[in-house]
Amino acid sequence: MITEATPQPMSADSPDAPILRVDTVTKTYGEGHTAVTAVHEASMDVRQGEFVSLLGPSGSGKTTLISMIGGLLTPTSGDIQLGDMVVSDLDSKELTSFRADNVGFVFQSANLVPFLTARENLLWVASLRKERGRAARRAAGERADQLLEELGLAERAGNVPEKLSGGERQRVAIGRALMNDPDLVLVDEPTAALDTAMGRQVVQLLRREIKDRGKTGIMVTHDLRMVEYTDRVFEITDGYLELGGDPAEMAASAAHAGH
Amino acid sequence: MNLAIAEFRRAKGRFVSITGALSLIVFLVLVLGALGDGLFFGGTGAVRSSTAQAYAFSADAEGSLVRSRLPLATESELESVDGVAQATAIGALITTTSSVPGGADLVVMGFAPEADPAGVPGTVVEGRLPGPSDPAGVAVDKALADDGLGIGATLQVGGVSTPVVGVVDDAGYQGLPTAWTSLDTYADMRTAVRPEFAGQPVDPSVFGLALVDGVTAEDITPPVGVLVASNEETYLSIPGIREQKSSLNAIIYASLAVAGLVVALFFALVVLEKRELFAALKALGASSRKLGSGVVLQAFGATITAVIVGATAAWLMGQLLPDDIPFLFRPETLVFSAVLTVTAGVVGALLSLRRISRIDPATALGGSL
Repeated sequence: MITEATPQPMSADSPDAPILRVDTVTKTYGEGHTAVTAVHEASMDVRQGEFVSLLGPSGSGKTTLISMIGGLLTPTSGDIQLGDMVVSDLDSKELTSFRADNVGFVFQSANLVPFLTARENLLWVASLRKERGRAARRAAGERADQLLEELGLAERAGNVPEKLSGGERQRVAIGRALMNDPDLVLVDEPTAALDTAMGRQVVQLLRREIKDRGKTGIMVTHDLRMVEYTDRVFEITDGYLELGGDPAEMAASAAHAGH
Repeated sequence: MNLAIAEFRRAKGRFVSITGALSLIVFLVLVLGALGDGLFFGGTGAVRSSTAQAYAFSADAEGSLVRSRLPLATESELESVDGVAQATAIGALITTTSSVPGGADLVVMGFAPEADPAGVPGTVVEGRLPGPSDPAGVAVDKALADDGLGIGATLQVGGVSTPVVGVVDDAGYQGLPTAWTSLDTYADMRTAVRPEFAGQPVDPSVFGLALVDGVTAEDITPPVGVLVASNEETYLSIPGIREQKSSLNAIIYASLAVAGLVVALFFALVVLEKRELFAALKALGASSRKLGSGVVLQAFGATITAVIVGATAAWLMGQLLPDDIPFLFRPETLVFSAVLTVTAGVVGALLSLRRISRIDPATALGGSL
């Protein structure tokens, strides 16, 4: 098992320059003798266009880590940097804007707005951005249509979530995550509510969209079979983050073991 | 894209219960308000819309025109008081007439038919009041005219008849219609229905006072044994008026408080139900303010809809009620109730904002909700 070292300095102009740097980040809940450290000095670099998976059992700290990366939680110590932005230095209001502009989330259970159509779910996210006016609305409409087309949902654009299958809902959620053209896409157990075949389709689609658009993606999963679609695997156990093995080999051994 | 409006449009069923409950409250408030207004306006018009700025009572009258009795000579005493421009003798007699089908209770108001008398209705809608040049006849309340006792008819009280020469509006007293005639005709009617007054001087009940410009009732120093009260103080002192008003207002304000609580509870439940969705939306970059303003907007929409539905139902009810029920649907009361209902609703919804601000967006991840 390879432990990720403290991030190496890289030139911002280098094609290998990480867009996301997590530098010795720790998260402790509570104080004194009731304090619980969920993440211990985690470090990781992820390059632009890279799609990595974060693997770990329940309670290992993977949700805490991804929450800090996505600006949902503030680290107790350490730094998180996305591009030129030091996420860990942002205040609550700035984090809200940061999430709207720079991060796309795909949740475990899609969490679409139930009374909006698939297209409107995408457009609503666009309304969180600062750009307003007719031109911005037209651009958002075109982008939503394009995303739905790419995700194979053009015919379903006018349907509300309850008229969509689980897979379709998750595809809408992917479209929503990409709607504001974020630098980073965080995906939380996207296959948890899907059968294996549908889960694979969704993860393949995610990989394609992230790669085609040159985005950076992190997928939290406990399903080893899904890591084959990612470029690297990070494993977290009891709050300690480590770089995992080769994704294809891990997926193959999981399939062999009948996981 | 406004989430609140989209939900209001697409998920109407969700808001049926809250809008229905609020509509019933608005209906209740408006019906009570209309009954209150009907009782108040029907009970005070003779004083409230009169030309008197103040009234002089006997010390034991307790604000009642009917209970008061002052000697006629008090007129000159009052007119010599600083600040009093004119004092008009007014007699009040609660009695009945058989001049309308089925008979009717009424208050006969006798007044000295002088020039510009103080204390007569300023609301003559047809004909005239008895005047110095032609003191005969009576001006009747519109309610009596509507029952067939219009101009040209004859009002008969206790065998004393007098022709109707005018119609006055908003001139009720203690819920009864009034008839305005000369003090002499009043005295004849009083003796006819209450023979014990036969041979007694025509003492009026009160004096209507016109005050010098800039003078108020508080500035008047009345003669001994006489109390002076302003016009407003007088109609509020009419027996039962203050009690009716305060009782109905207490019910109305309690109902509005219930409206606020209903909205607060409804939206507290909505926020609880939407916790997971709101956490996800906050994670996506929606601020608590944006989500909270949506909730307030929905409360505003629900209360406005309820005001429209409740007001329409209350108005329809008013149309169906018989005329003898004092139901007065006033635009002022509607606007006042609507503003208070919407305010109560919005304040109720504001209580949900803290709950929204406390939703942690981090809970959207990990399926921890």
